[in-house]
Parts: sequence; C-alpha cells; structure tokens
Amino acid sequence: MSSGSQAILFAFQLMTLMSAVLVAFHPNILYASVALLFTFLGVACMFIFIGADFLAGAQVIVYVGGITILILFAIMLTQWMYKATLRDVRTKILLPVVACGLLVTPILLKTTRLIADLGPLGTAETMTAFSFSPKTQVIGQALLTSYVLPFEAVTILLLGALVGAVWLARPQ
Amino acid sequence: MAETAYFAHSLQTWLGGGPLWIWGAVSAVVVIFGLALPFGGLATYAERKIAADIQDRVGPNRVGPFGILQFLADAVKMLAKEDFIPRGGDHFLFNIAPVFVVVGACATFAVLPLSKYLLGADLNIGVLYVLAISTLVSPGLLLGSWASENKWSLLGGLRAAAQIVSYEIPVALCILPIILISGTLQIGTIVELQGWNLALEGAKSPHFWNLFHNPFTLVSGFILFIAGLAETNRIPFDLPEAESELVSGFNTEFSGMRFGLFALGEFCEVFVMCAMVTALYLGGWHIPFLDIESFGVTLPTLLVALIQLTMFMIKTLLLVFVVMWLRWTLPRLRVDQLMSLCWKGLVPICLFNVLGTAVWLWVFHGRSLAQLIFQGGGH
Repeated sequence: MSSGSQAILFAFQLMTLMSAVLVAFHPNILYASVALLFTFLGVACMFIFIGADFLAGAQVIVYVGGITILILFAIMLTQWMYKATLRDVRTKILLPVVACGLLVTPILLKTTRLIADLGPLGTAETMTAFSFSPKTQVIGQALLTSYVLPFEAVTILLLGALVGAVWLARPQ
Repeated sequence: MAETAYFAHSLQTWLGGGPLWIWGAVSAVVVIFGLALPFGGLATYAERKIAADIQDRVGPNRVGPFGILQFLADAVKMLAKEDFIPRGGDHFLFNIAPVFVVVGACATFAVLPLSKYLLGADLNIGVLYVLAISTLVSPGLLLGSWASENKWSLLGGLRAAAQIVSYEIPVALCILPIILISGTLQIGTIVELQGWNLALEGAKSPHFWNLFHNPFTLVSGFILFIAGLAETNRIPFDLPEAESELVSGFNTEFSGMRFGLFALGEFCEVFVMCAMVTALYLGGWHIPFLDIESFGVTLPTLLVALIQLTMFMIKTLLLVFVVMWLRWTLPRLRVDQLMSLCWKGLVPICLFNVLGTAVWLWVFHGRSLAQLIFQGGGH
C-alpha cells in the first residue's frame, strides 16, 4: 500500500473513531445518529481498503440507507426526543466499563490471534490483484452451497419479521 | 474487463507518473465540473424551454441566443442571494444537508459507462455502488428538512425519505434480472454484453439490448424507469415538494446557493437514473444493429470513444426529455396511492419478473430472444 492510500485509510479510521466517540457522548440524540451515519460510512471505507467491496456496498445500503434513516424517522416522529438532552452518562461509569470490558476483551483476544495466524498480508501487487478480483460470485456460491442452511434460516426469520410488521400495522 | 481504461490510470500515464490517488481526485473534479455541473445547468434551461413549449409559451429568451445563457445568469443570481438560515433552525445540519444530496448524486458519476474507454472506474460491484452511494441523498433531505424548523419542510423531508426507501426495493428488484442475465455487477461488462454481434457463438456472446432479452425484462425495464422517477422525486411522484400543499417541501427554507445545490443534486440524480436505465436496459454505448468494433476496419480508439459517448448521451438525454415531458403530462399522486403503487403494484410484478427471467434463462440455456430468432434454438 502506498503512503498516499495509507494516509487516506488513516483519515477514514480517524473519522470512524471520532464519530463513534460522538455517538456515545453527544448529548443530542439527533447529532448522535448523524455521527452514527459517519461511523457506518467509515467502516464501509475500511472494508474497501481490505478489498471487501461487496461488503462495503452492502454496509452502506443496509446501515446508511436503512438503519440510519429508520433511526432519524423515529427521532423526528417522537416530538420530545430531539429537544431532550441526555446528560446522565457521567453518573454511572463503573458498571458499563466492567460489562464492556467483559464483552470486548474476548473478542479482541480472538481477533488478534486470528490476525496473527493469518501472517503477513502479502505484497502490494497481490493486494491490488485481490481488491480487483470479483468476490460477489464467491460470496453467492458460498451462501447457496456451504452455508445454505443458515441462509435459509435467516430468510425465514426475515419473512416472519415482515409478516409480523404487516400484522402489527394492519388497520384495526 | 481488462481493456477498459480508468480515468485516473489514463491521466497517470498521459501526464507522467505521480501518485494515483491525486489523479483520482483530479478525475473526480473533472467529472463534477465537466459533466455534473454543466448538465445540471443546461437541464434547468432545457426543463424551462420544454415546459414553455408544452404550455405554448416562449420561455427564457433574453440571455444569449435563445436564452441559452440563462443558467449562468441564474447561477450568478444564486451566488449573490442572501445566505439565510431560519431562526431556531439547526445551523450545522442546515449546512451539511445539501452536501449529502450533492455527494450522493455526483459520486455515482464515477461508474457511469459513457463509453468503453471513458469509464471513471469499472468497479466489480458497479451496480451495487450506484445503489449504495445514492442512498446518501435521503439522509440529506431528511436532515435538511428537520434543520429548517418548518413544518412544511419536515413533512416534505419525511415524505421524501419514506418514498426513497420504499422505491429502492423495486429499483433493486428491476436490476436483479440484469445481474441474472449478465452474471456480473460490473456495469462495463453488462453494457458490453448488449452488443449486436450475434454471429458469435457461446454463452458470453452479445445478446442485444437487455430490454428485449425476454418478455420479463421488457416489463422490468419500464418499471425501473417508473421507480427511478419516484426515487428522484420527479412528477408524478414529487410529493416531497408538492407546491400546492407544502409550499416547496424540504427545500422551502433554503435560499441562494444551498437551494442551488439541492436543484443540482436533483438534476444529477435524474441524469444518473436515465443513464442507469440506458446502461442496464438500452444497450449503453452500443448503436442498434451495428457493431462498430467488428466493422472490418479498425477505427482509432478516440473516434470509437467519441461515437460511443455520443450514442450513450443520445439515449440518456432522450430519457431525460421523457422525464421532463411527463412533468407536464401526469398529475401528482396522493401519498396513499404512491405507497400502494409501490408495495401492491411494482414489488409483486418485479418479483414475478425476477422469477420469470430465471426460468427463461434455465429453459433457453441463457439465450436471449434475439439469439433464439437469429441463431436458431439448436446448439
């Protein structure tokens, strides 16, 4: 990776982290959700840098185009929500820190071990070749062969959620 | 495709070295200032002239020959206007909202297949990229309308976001048959496969325009255009800015260049939508019944690029004309009609089209209607 693209990657990482901090600590929930949008975008950009372009596209469609819009809708339709300032974060610190530590430490340990097992990432040429190779086809074939059962289970779950939403929203 | 040249790569080789990301940034600037801005400007002029013609008026005719410089005068006027943020409005979100709209609209220009040799970037996920990056528009509309502290704006913004999110589903479902046929998300390859060279045998030989590939794609091509109209908030789906109910909808409080950015974003979206219909269904840069690259004589690359660019622009601008023509032809839908059209009309038809295309490909071994007629059904 050249120094130029490394600088761009660093900028995206900085954007992701800063906006994630804003999501957690901004007192206005509307600003927090806008910051969440930038976190999602930053994660998508990092996916692009490791060559996972399909994942990046799906990330933007689902999280920026779907989840963030839904959150914004919910905030704007609940009138007291965007006027309220949420400032009770300082009072409880110990319990969230312990809970997060317990959750995050195993994940961090596992991922560092996985990354160590992978070894070096390869030369610039192999990385470039990898990022331009088509991966959507591979993902599709994996989903419909090795992982067909979980895939179908998820589709049934989503269908159930869809039917449930229609049932809840039906005219009384 | 190996032979397609990316803007940034060509710039790097022509102008001698330098880091690629600088040339990437330069080509982005070239695309925005060379394509998006002039199109946005000329589209406002064309829109007013076409409207005038349809309503039997004269239209802009003072600035320059036939009033063609009107858009420059408008731009100067917009720059000179007072930059106004309503009291009680949210300054930060008010400022950032037009940026979302313009970025979402202009970033899609990167993958538009203007010609085989004039592609910003032929991404592996080209079609998905267009769908993904254009979702940035709806947070822009929503935040801008909320930051205006105006109930008409907020109603317009909520309508816009709901409409865009709903109509994204038929749009995606109309693109699926094309992906089934082409077996790729790369827009360059999708266009390449729609050529007219039916003498070629084999699964990957050109099969003429996707619109005429089979009866199901004929339907889904039209639905893509309809759903695209709704996604770009054009009449008959312009509920977000319905001027008889909501003053001007989400952009009511925006003045000067911020309003200009919203308008520019909308026209760019219209162009991108028409370009996508052209690329996916109408053969992109290909000339009907003619394959200029297997002509016998090899034409210079630049000439081929120019011919293809002209062909692509003719098809796209014809569609843009239809969009403007519809504005003065159809009345606006109601909100409930809009939603029932999407969920009870377009989505079921689209699902049926996807299934139908899959069955067609299975029955006829991936052959198109044109291949069946001109090559015979045998193997």
